[in-house]
Amino acid sequence: MRFLRRPERITRLGLILWAFRIAIIVFVVAGSYATLSGASGVVLSPEGWRDLVIFGIAQGSIYALIALGYTLVYGILFMINFAHGEIFMAGAFTGFFVAVALAEEGIMEANPILGIVILLLSSMITSMIVAVLLERIAYRPLRRAPRLVPLITAIGASLILQYSFRGIYGSGVRAYPLPDAIQGRVEILGIPILRSQLIVVIAAVCLMFALYYLVEKTRTGRSMRAVSEDKEVAALMGINVDRTIATTFAIGGLLAGAAGVLYVFIFNQVSFAMGFLPGIKAFTAAVLGGIGNIVGAMLGGLTLGILESVGPFLLLSGFGVPSTNQLRDVIAFSMLVIVLIFRPYGILGRKES
Amino acid sequence: MSDRLKPVDPRRILKRAAGLGAIAGLAGVYLSVVGIVERFETRNVVTGVAPLGLLTVAIAILVAAYVAARPPRNWGMTEPARGHKFMASLLTGAAAGLVLVLFLLAVGALDLRDIFPNTTPGLVRILSLGIEGPAGWAALMALCLSLGAVAGALHQLRPRDRQPLIAAMAAVLLMSLMEPFLNNVFLQLRQNALASFIYQRSGLTIPAAVIVFLVVLAVSAFQTYRGAATRRRVAALPENTRRSATYVALFLVGLLLLVLPHLMGVFLSEVVGTVGLYILMGLGLNIVVGYAGLLDLGYVAFFAVGAYATALLTSPVSSLGLGMDFWMALPIVIIVAAITGIIIGAPVLRLRGDYLAIVTLGFGEIVRILLLSDALRPIFGGAQGILAIPPPVVGDLRLAGPINLYYPILAFVVLGAFVAWTLANSRIGRAWNAMREDEEVAAATGINTTNYKLLAFAIGAVFGCVAGAFFAVKIGIVFPQRLDLLVSITVLSLIILGGMGSIRGVILGAFVLVGLPELLREFAEYRLLIYGGVLVAMMLLRPEGLLPNRSRQRELHDDDDSAEVQYQRRVGTETGAPAISAP
Repeated sequence: MRFLRRPERITRLGLILWAFRIAIIVFVVAGSYATLSGASGVVLSPEGWRDLVIFGIAQGSIYALIALGYTLVYGILFMINFAHGEIFMAGAFTGFFVAVALAEEGIMEANPILGIVILLLSSMITSMIVAVLLERIAYRPLRRAPRLVPLITAIGASLILQYSFRGIYGSGVRAYPLPDAIQGRVEILGIPILRSQLIVVIAAVCLMFALYYLVEKTRTGRSMRAVSEDKEVAALMGINVDRTIATTFAIGGLLAGAAGVLYVFIFNQVSFAMGFLPGIKAFTAAVLGGIGNIVGAMLGGLTLGILESVGPFLLLSGFGVPSTNQLRDVIAFSMLVIVLIFRPYGILGRKES
Repeated sequence: MSDRLKPVDPRRILKRAAGLGAIAGLAGVYLSVVGIVERFETRNVVTGVAPLGLLTVAIAILVAAYVAARPPRNWGMTEPARGHKFMASLLTGAAAGLVLVLFLLAVGALDLRDIFPNTTPGLVRILSLGIEGPAGWAALMALCLSLGAVAGALHQLRPRDRQPLIAAMAAVLLMSLMEPFLNNVFLQLRQNALASFIYQRSGLTIPAAVIVFLVVLAVSAFQTYRGAATRRRVAALPENTRRSATYVALFLVGLLLLVLPHLMGVFLSEVVGTVGLYILMGLGLNIVVGYAGLLDLGYVAFFAVGAYATALLTSPVSSLGLGMDFWMALPIVIIVAAITGIIIGAPVLRLRGDYLAIVTLGFGEIVRILLLSDALRPIFGGAQGILAIPPPVVGDLRLAGPINLYYPILAFVVLGAFVAWTLANSRIGRAWNAMREDEEVAAATGINTTNYKLLAFAIGAVFGCVAGAFFAVKIGIVFPQRLDLLVSITVLSLIILGGMGSIRGVILGAFVLVGLPELLREFAEYRLLIYGGVLVAMMLLRPEGLLPNRSRQRELHDDDDSAEVQYQRRVGTETGAPAISAP
């Protein structure tokens, strides 16, 4: 009988928000209906839809890896590490040089698994170093400052990293030498899947399990959780708060570095600006899943990846909108706006009092 | 005796000095690898003596060596001996030199150009002062050591002697950076002889540098020695005299502003016009960020709305095809702006500071992508944008070209500054202030925070849209590529540099961050790197900005805060956000 209760006072703002909600729902339903009914004449085969979903899962698992970095840092410092996308970019860039070197030495051809492991490790370590330095130089001195101060610092750090890489390596987009081992398709349960996408998903899942184990079962993880609950009390219990925070950044960096390599497996190129969009999208994923929540970040990443891959076509082509793929970033940003406005605590997060 | 009175262990100072030197050396390596050293080498500070490229490295070493001589306050002991301090500076120089020489060796031994394209022979030549081989390494080392010695010597001086020296050096640097501006003005005034006496090959000539140095040294010395007495005498003047002096000064500034474009010529008027637009945007964002405390990273959305609305209404070839007069269109643009501000503002109002920043960033990007998309090409023209925007017309005069457009922009900047100033000191401004300091308390004292936030967004949007409208008529065409996040970042950076909530700060910030890179092509390439540096450095060193607003300054220095607030900040529990949790 809940709806029989006296309704809460409806404010003007509440009214606007409800109008927003209804408009979104109407838009989504009408768009999907128009597309699926084929009224506009643009249709996609079932295989086409399936490929979109698989692509969405692959890019979603990359977003999830990056999102974990946001979530870990937010969980412990309550700040958005705006420069996390650039940490990811640093890893991808290092991966580029290592991949070129490996290809020249012929290691990639002779032993692809070893090659990929070396690639992953070098990128992860670079990203980790960048993340730890960032924390030490830019964030640690500001831990007591008002909230906006570290955020602005993070924006600045993001610019510095981006344009340092541009200065050092030039502004061009570089094509990545992909080993043959990750090209082509494999069949799983009768479904042909691009090998690169399969590797991405497997690697991402392994890393996420490793992280979950680390946070839940190890001593380091316990001190991280303790610091995120209450820094002062954690310090009294003998936890080195500074070191724990640095560890958190390091772990976030490791995951972002791995994401950098995996991202390149799918998109095949590196550039100094490549961190911005995946960074924002991964942040969206983190919020979507409930920021501070590890499993939430994984789910959020997958959801966003699939929505972004399927969404533009599903929602827009029914209305006869041309070149819907141009608008995929609009879907991601709209998700960001909608989630933050209507459910800022995410799918799995607790509602704040 | 207590620990405080013991002198600092010299080994501790020296260890720190070596570390600082290594950091300075690495900074030099960074500047080289990023390409700043070689790129800036084409610009001279003092022609023939000090090119800017190597000077960037030198300044890093100077600062580090100066800091090395001053043990941190929290070591809490008596001043170390003078000799130790000097040794520390020297050691810093040596360490930095060592790092740089190792870098040179590495560049010489391995060809790193595949990975670091900027490690060219040209760079090596610059760093080794143009001398080949080991002699060059020695020269670099000697340079670093002498920089250390200079910094050490500076530190030995009494502060009142030191300040004029530093001011004079800074003035020489500033004067040389003003070269494109002043040189242009001199040529405009047909003072070619003067121009070539002061500047040669983009830097100060040696006699000009000496004159600038001595003049500033004298003025600054007078100020440090006799400044207090002079100020007292000015304060003792009768009220009327002081007021009329202020009026005369204002009148002179106004007169200068009016004749300025004719002094400057077309190119500089263009640059100053752009700076004016950024001042206008800065004033607007300052209301949102500085007064109301809402960090808006999507400010470019309003700029874009203003530019496109103007283009749609005034261009005869736009999809509306109205071809309206600019002054007729402007009120409509302003209304559209306020509505956009409210539409974007309303849904995001309940969000906390950092979420608000990200959502507004999202809005800004959505606007840009939509403008760029093929889907909306029939309305907004896609990537080509909208062409043939006519200039504003006053009477019979078409305000085309930078010199004519300077005047309406100036008028709107003055109007904008006046509005912003009035708002800040009104009931509304105080409400924003209260809201920024503590939203819940503000609400409890009867401030309708929703309305005041919306008002801030709407007014900020109007400023942004007016800037956008002038941007559209200034270049006569609008297209989405230039309306990206970087505009928002630029405006944010200039506010941060000048000081949040400070109108003077916005003006200073716009001239430094927008004007300088337009003039110095060497800077333009590293513009965003510099913005990033400005954001980080200001937040770490001087969060209230260069020309701070007084209440803001108090807010950001927590020495003045109550013990309770300090405690909360230290513990960091005021956020109440969810912690890492497993399901």
